[in-house]
Amino acid sequence: MFKKLYIVFGLLVLIGYATAGWFGWEVANSGSRSRLGMPFIYNGFHGGK
Amino acid sequence: MTTLKSNCPSCGGPIEFTAGSTIVLVCPFCRSAVARTDRGLQDLGKVAEIAETQSPLKLGLKGTFNGERFELTGRAQMRHELGGYWDEWYATFSNGWVGWLAEAQGRFYLTFYQPMSDGATVPSFASLQLGQFVEGIPSKTPLMVQEKGTATSAAADGEIPYKLVPGEKSDYADLAGKHDAFGTIDYSSEPPWLFIGKHVTLAEIGLGDALPVTREARQVSSEAMRCPNCGGPLNLVAPDQSERVTCPNCNSLLDVNQGNLTYLKALAPPPDQPDFVLPVGADGTFADGTKYRIIGAMVRSVTIEGIKYFWHEYLLYEPTIGFRWLVHSDNHWNFVEPVNAADVIQNTSGIVQTVTYNGQTFKIFQDAPAVVEYVKGEFYWRVEQGETVRAADYIAPPKMLSLEMTAGEMNWSLGTYMTNGEVEKAFGVRGLPRPWGVAPNQPFTGRFYYTWGFLPVLLLLIVAIFLIPLTGLTNTVLSQQIVLPPMTNSAAPQTIFSQTFDLKGNRNVRITATAPLSNSWADLDVDLVNDQSQDVESVDIPIEYYNGVEDGESWSEGGQDQDAILSSLPAGKYTLRVEGTWQNWQQQMPVTVKVEQSVNRGVNFCGAFVLLLIIPLLNLFRKFSFESKRWKDSMFGSGSSGGSDDE
Repeated sequence: MFKKLYIVFGLLVLIGYATAGWFGWEVANSGSRSRLGMPFIYNGFHGGK
Repeated sequence: MTTLKSNCPSCGGPIEFTAGSTIVLVCPFCRSAVARTDRGLQDLGKVAEIAETQSPLKLGLKGTFNGERFELTGRAQMRHELGGYWDEWYATFSNGWVGWLAEAQGRFYLTFYQPMSDGATVPSFASLQLGQFVEGIPSKTPLMVQEKGTATSAAADGEIPYKLVPGEKSDYADLAGKHDAFGTIDYSSEPPWLFIGKHVTLAEIGLGDALPVTREARQVSSEAMRCPNCGGPLNLVAPDQSERVTCPNCNSLLDVNQGNLTYLKALAPPPDQPDFVLPVGADGTFADGTKYRIIGAMVRSVTIEGIKYFWHEYLLYEPTIGFRWLVHSDNHWNFVEPVNAADVIQNTSGIVQTVTYNGQTFKIFQDAPAVVEYVKGEFYWRVEQGETVRAADYIAPPKMLSLEMTAGEMNWSLGTYMTNGEVEKAFGVRGLPRPWGVAPNQPFTGRFYYTWGFLPVLLLLIVAIFLIPLTGLTNTVLSQQIVLPPMTNSAAPQTIFSQTFDLKGNRNVRITATAPLSNSWADLDVDLVNDQSQDVESVDIPIEYYNGVEDGESWSEGGQDQDAILSSLPAGKYTLRVEGTWQNWQQQMPVTVKVEQSVNRGVNFCGAFVLLLIIPLLNLFRKFSFESKRWKDSMFGSGSSGGSDDE
C-alpha cells in the first residue's frame, strides 16, 4: 500500500517538475506569479525606505 | 546361502529362511531369534515384540529402487541411548542386493553395505569428531559425522541378514553428505561395517501408496491414558514417538516407554510461570497448507553476561512429515525445520564467522549454552529440566540457521521469520502480543524505499537533462542603461521607462538591476507592463553595497546588482517601468537593467530532488537504526552490518 503511494507521490513530483519546466513556472523569488506568493530566497536587504 | 525350511529349535514350529542373505529369522510362533550357521540352527534367545509405531511400512511391502525391485523381509527395532526407537527394514532385492531402509522421525534412509578399498580401514569410533568429514571411505560424496552413539537391539521381526543378538549394544555413527547422501558406520563387528546410501522419500522407492492409508488410520487414534501420579487423563498425540510427557493436571514429568507411562518427578516451575500464548493441542495450518499440532512446549534460556534470556519453543507434529518447531522469542516467531548438516558449510576464513547454506551466507549472531527451563506436553526425546546444549545461531534475514550440539549429536535447523499476522492466521487466533525490539532474523521491510525508491531521483535527472534543450537556454531580451534623475526629496521617487522588448510565453523571466553603489542603497520598484493588455507585473529589487577596512582587513556586504525571478508571462511586447529611491537622493542614479528568459536556476530541480530524497533517506536511516537494534543483542556485536531483507 505504502509502496504504491510512494510511487504515485514520486510520479506526481516528476510530472510536476516536468510541467513546471515546460510552462516556465518557477518557484520565483519575487512577483505576484511566484508559486509561493512570497520571496522564496530573500537575500537580505538591510537598507531600504 | 539359499532358501531353508526347518523347525524352530526353541518351539519346533515351522520356519523358513526365504532370502538367501538371511542370517537370523525371528520365529513367528515363539519370537526366538534363530540363526542359521554352518553347524545348523542356533537359538539366540527371545526377542521382544516390535513396538507399534506409526510407520507406514510393513513386512512384505514391495518397492523399486534404481529400477530394481525389492521386498521388505525383515525389521530390526533399535533403541537410542537417549530414548526413542528407530526401525531398520531389511530390503531384499530381486538382483541379490541387500539394503537397509532406516526410518527415524518420519525420514527414510536407504543404505547398502560398502566394502572398504584394499588397505583402507574405517576410522575408530573414538576418533570420530562431530562435524568432521570421514576420510578414506568409498563414497562419491564426502560424508561428515552427524551423530555418534550407542544403539540397543530392542526387537526384531522377519528375516535379518546379520547375527542379531537381542539386547546387544553397539556403537554407531551416522554420516551425512550433500544432496541427501547418508551413511552409517556400524561398530558391532570387527572390522566395522560401512553402509552408504541416501535419504529417500517413500514415493521415490515405490512405496508412496503405503503412506496415506496407514497414516490416516493412525491419526485418528491418539492414545488416551491416565497419569500414574494423579490419575488424570492424558491424551498423547504421538505415543509411539514420545519419550516424555508432562501431566497437565499435576505438573508431573512422565516417561513414555512404548506407550507405558512412568512417573519421574514433579516439575519445578520456573521463577516466572511461563505464559505460553499458544496452547498445547492447538492445530495450525501453515502457508504451505500443512496442518501441524502443537504437542509440546518448553521454556529455554541462555545466559549472556550474567543476564538470562528466555524464550518459548513449541513442538509441532504432523504424522507424515514429522516434527517441526515454532519458536517464540520477544514475541517474534520463527518456524523451524531440520536441515542436512552436510549442506551447511562453515567458513573459517574472514573476520566474521559465517556459514553457507543453499548458496546463502549466514553471519554468526549467538553462540551460547541453551538450557531447558520448563517443559509441557509431549517430546520425542528424554527431555529434562536443565538439559543443556551448545546453541549457535547464524542469520541471513528472514532466515536463521541454528546449530545445536551435544557430545554425541549435532543438528542444524533452519528458522524462517513469521509475522504475528501469519501466526495468528495459522492458528486462527487474534491479539498475539506485539513483538518488541528487533529479532535476529527479522527482515527489514523498507528496503524497497532505499533501493527502488531512488529510481524517481534518477528519472528526475533524466527529465532535467531533456528539459534543457526543450525549454531553451538563457536568452537576454533587454539590456539597457537608464539614468534616474536626482530626487526632489528623500521620499519622492523618480520613475523612468525602458525600451520595449518581446517576451516569449512559457519561459521564466529574470530582471537584473545593476547600480554603481558604494556604502549606500537603492530600492527599485520595477513594473513589467504589457503594452497590449496594460497588465502590470511588479517586482521589488533592492540593491545595497557596503564595504570598508576594519582592523586591517577589508570587508564588503551586499552587491551592486540584484535580480528578481518571475514565472512565465503571456507572450507579447513589454516595457519596464522603473521607480526608484536611493540613499544619495540628491544625485542621479544610473541603473543597468537586463531582462532574460529561460533562466536555468535549478530551484525547481532542487525542490523536486529534495522531495524525492526524503523517503529513501528516511528509510536508509531506519535501516541503520534497525540493524543497530538487531545487533545490539548479539554476542558478536555489530561487526556484521547490513543483512538482506525480505523483499
